[in-house]
Amino acid sequence: MISVAHLTRTFGSLRALDDISFEVAKGEVVGFLGPNGAGKTTAMRILSGYLPASSGTVKIAGFDVLRESLEVRRRIGYLPETVPLYREHRVVEMLEFQARLHAIPRKERASRIDKALEQVGLTDRRRDLVGNLSRGLRQRAGLAVALLPRPEVLILDEPTSGLDPMQRLEVRGLIRALRDEHTVLFSSHILPEIEAVCPRVVIVHKGRIAADGTPAELVAKLAGASHVRLEAVVGADPAAAQRILRSIRGVRDVVDHGRLGIHHQFELACDEDLREDVGAIAASRGWALRELSWRRPTLEQIFARIATGASDEVERPAGPARAPAISAPDAPIVLGGLSAVPRASTVHPTLQPTVQPTVHPTLQPSMPSTAGTAPQRTVYNLNPFDRGATRSLSVPKVVEDPNAPPASAGPDPDASGAPRS
Amino acid sequence: MRGFLAITRRELAGLFVGPLAWALLFIAVLLQGWLFVLYLKSLGGDVDLALRWTLGESWVYWALLILVPPLLTMRMISEESRTGILEFLLTAPVTDAAVVTGKFVAALVFLALLWSGAFVYGLVVASLGVPPDWGTLFGGWIGAVLCSGLFVGVGLFASSITSTPIVAAFGAIVLNLVFVTAPLLAGLSDQPWVRRAVASVDVIDHHKGAFLTGVLDTSYVVFFVSWSGFFVFLAIRAVEARRWR
Repeated sequence: MISVAHLTRTFGSLRALDDISFEVAKGEVVGFLGPNGAGKTTAMRILSGYLPASSGTVKIAGFDVLRESLEVRRRIGYLPETVPLYREHRVVEMLEFQARLHAIPRKERASRIDKALEQVGLTDRRRDLVGNLSRGLRQRAGLAVALLPRPEVLILDEPTSGLDPMQRLEVRGLIRALRDEHTVLFSSHILPEIEAVCPRVVIVHKGRIAADGTPAELVAKLAGASHVRLEAVVGADPAAAQRILRSIRGVRDVVDHGRLGIHHQFELACDEDLREDVGAIAASRGWALRELSWRRPTLEQIFARIATGASDEVERPAGPARAPAISAPDAPIVLGGLSAVPRASTVHPTLQPTVQPTVHPTLQPSMPSTAGTAPQRTVYNLNPFDRGATRSLSVPKVVEDPNAPPASAGPDPDASGAPRS
Repeated sequence: MRGFLAITRRELAGLFVGPLAWALLFIAVLLQGWLFVLYLKSLGGDVDLALRWTLGESWVYWALLILVPPLLTMRMISEESRTGILEFLLTAPVTDAAVVTGKFVAALVFLALLWSGAFVYGLVVASLGVPPDWGTLFGGWIGAVLCSGLFVGVGLFASSITSTPIVAAFGAIVLNLVFVTAPLLAGLSDQPWVRRAVASVDVIDHHKGAFLTGVLDTSYVVFFVSWSGFFVFLAIRAVEARRWR
């Protein structure tokens, strides 16, 4: 339906769009995502035929936007960022004007205006002056104007900007409802919004397409950006706790954010929601939890990632980063036992610029150099959703625990430690 | 064509829902009516001459033409470009030319309405027993409308090259002044070619020379239509150029 090939647009020396190409099939809903100044609005203006491209071609429904402009204009509904409504007119008058511009037959006019107003939920405000409408209502009125000619392609430039959360929800619901009838292209700089509405996202950055795919794909590309946050009383030895957390399958790195009162804060970089695994460990170690949450990447992180050059594929730490013991399918969580030194070298440098032990060196207990000398401990894997767990949960597993100090062989030596300063 | 009519209709509605058009109409009609009575008294009751004064012989007519069209047209393009409505119009299924000419015709209709006050004066004096020369009156009105077209074109052009209505109005008023006062300035020169050149663009002379005497001379019609068309053309180009900026 929309076909953009090598689209470039310059404003003087500024390259607002730089060789953009993409296709949108009929009936697709595509979200245009990007920070301010990325070129979203320029792209939409070119698609709508308002701005000409410096080079490249844009076709909508098979018509060239520049050469067959009028044919294209009959087929699109375009809602610019600043809603184009005459303040001095009533909502229904604005719709009548649009109906005349699009040459909608007089007989159909009233019924179609009613339907458009109903679609956006403005039926009871039809006689209101546009200038008296609140911003959200005005946005909806603008949407009704764009919808009235029943365009094949709807181009919406930041339709939710400046709306309150409830209005955002409404507009999102509206766009979702439009999926059946129209091909929709809409822009936003808010990731959750795009995720909620669009099966496909095109990310624009500095005039180029930085990524194109489903939200899930895009998030997958940003591996490492999502993390589990843990705040708990971990006892006297946060470094040991950090090692334990790091050994969880799927965790690529653990950042210790230091102590806050008696609690310690950790950030576990991982691709999946590992809260259950972390919770299980916390339970087994007797850590008093204060927070355990999963944070997904935000747009800022996406762009930090894209802008720092790791453009499409983010290199992930390969196999050696994980504990060899974990590769066995029936292995429970391995507690500790891995030195942090070889690990850090295998992790991509851009992923963790700030891994720093926050514990003062003198406070750190001396660590046994070899795992073999540590006493054995019995640990139950309490997590019923443990990925890859094929063994019976009722059978305890004996593992080596190099961190357990030989002197205090109690069940949870770490938890008993009083906070030190 | 349909889009052009839609735009003309919208512009007229837009003019008359706001106070500006009514205020201009009120002031202009009040002034013209008062002056008509004054002319009638000072001209010793010559109805036709008084009507001629109302439609172009007096400087008040030209002052109105210099001031009213810029005030009408100042918002038409400049403000729409600022509020984003121009973006809507230029992506609607109408040509740029239809958008500009639609606005032009709307402003012209307003001014035609303003000058048609002269018919009311004619009716009033006719009801008092002195019917005016209706043909001359109608010719004068046609001339006034054609002449207004030129000034509306200037106003639209000024509006299309700026995004600030006040700047547009000011620019248009200056341009109008140049148009009206050029013959006076040319009179200071003794070079015959200057006088001839300026005489060919002398609006006042073209208006007084034909229409006010009741003559519909096509060459004079062409003079006004082509000047109006020239400025409308410039305005269309300026609107198009906005896309490239």
